[in-house]
Amino acid sequence: MTKLNFILALNDKLSDLPKQEVEERLNFYAEMIEDRIEDGLSEEEAVAAVGTVDEIAKHIIKDIPLTKIAIEKIKTKRRLKTWEIVLLIAGAPLWIPLTIAFFAVILALYVSLWSIIISLWAVFASVVSCALSGIVAGAGIVFTPNKMAGIALLGIGIVCAGLSILLFLGCKAATDGVVILTKKIVFFIKNRLTKKEEA
Amino acid sequence: MDIQLKRGLLDVCVLAAIKNEDSYGYKIIKDMKPYIELSESTLYTILKRLEIANMLTVRTVEHGGRLRKYYRITDRGIKRIEEFKNEWKEIMSIYRFVTKEDEE
Repeated sequence: MTKLNFILALNDKLSDLPKQEVEERLNFYAEMIEDRIEDGLSEEEAVAAVGTVDEIAKHIIKDIPLTKIAIEKIKTKRRLKTWEIVLLIAGAPLWIPLTIAFFAVILALYVSLWSIIISLWAVFASVVSCALSGIVAGAGIVFTPNKMAGIALLGIGIVCAGLSILLFLGCKAATDGVVILTKKIVFFIKNRLTKKEEA
Repeated sequence: MDIQLKRGLLDVCVLAAIKNEDSYGYKIIKDMKPYIELSESTLYTILKRLEIANMLTVRTVEHGGRLRKYYRITDRGIKRIEEFKNEWKEIMSIYRFVTKEDEE
């Protein structure tokens, strides 16, 4: 692949990203290739050393914040035809509530996901406090005439302590899972936004 | 390696690569190569981050009929390297403590 082909291919992959940002990056890669050629590599080798177009495009899409991509997407939308505008306005009572509902449902799902995580941690916190108070109170009365009650309390406290360790592992795994899921969703949206629309 | 830790380390590595004289992208990668492999894409992200943090400045210079960007470290960047050295002394002493038993 020649340098020109490489830059053109990369530019094509990034056509929906902010123009200035893309230009700056393309210049950076061009400079890298030219410096390698100057260093004695052939053009072919220099291009190969920089990496594949797909890899680089993927890295760049991950690197640019979602908000920037979304704004660019809205800015570069083509002008609407008259009949499209008429349809848009005529259909407004239908599509606006539908769109709002759509995003509201997604938001609600996401919020409830985090609520589950928060409640899991709340359960964890209460089990920990049970363990602490059980052990402290049990130890306090185990040497009094109320010996049996003290032993029972101690037992409950120790069981809760064991339970809390398991719960902690579970809570942590669930939290990590949601964080990873969020990253995946953001990357998916970015990818969709930057995909070329079929003409 | 932990991602946050690696990011911090790479930032300091790039600062060190431009500490003694201004440098450009390909030279930075080449200078670092014996110590740590760095891809172009990663380097771009780091340079941008350091520029925003005012740890380096960029200027464009004509070179053999084309343009090349040179990066120069700022006082803030030099300060960051010094901070890193001090932090690392602490980490090294922790490391020695952790591996003490292995040696015995």
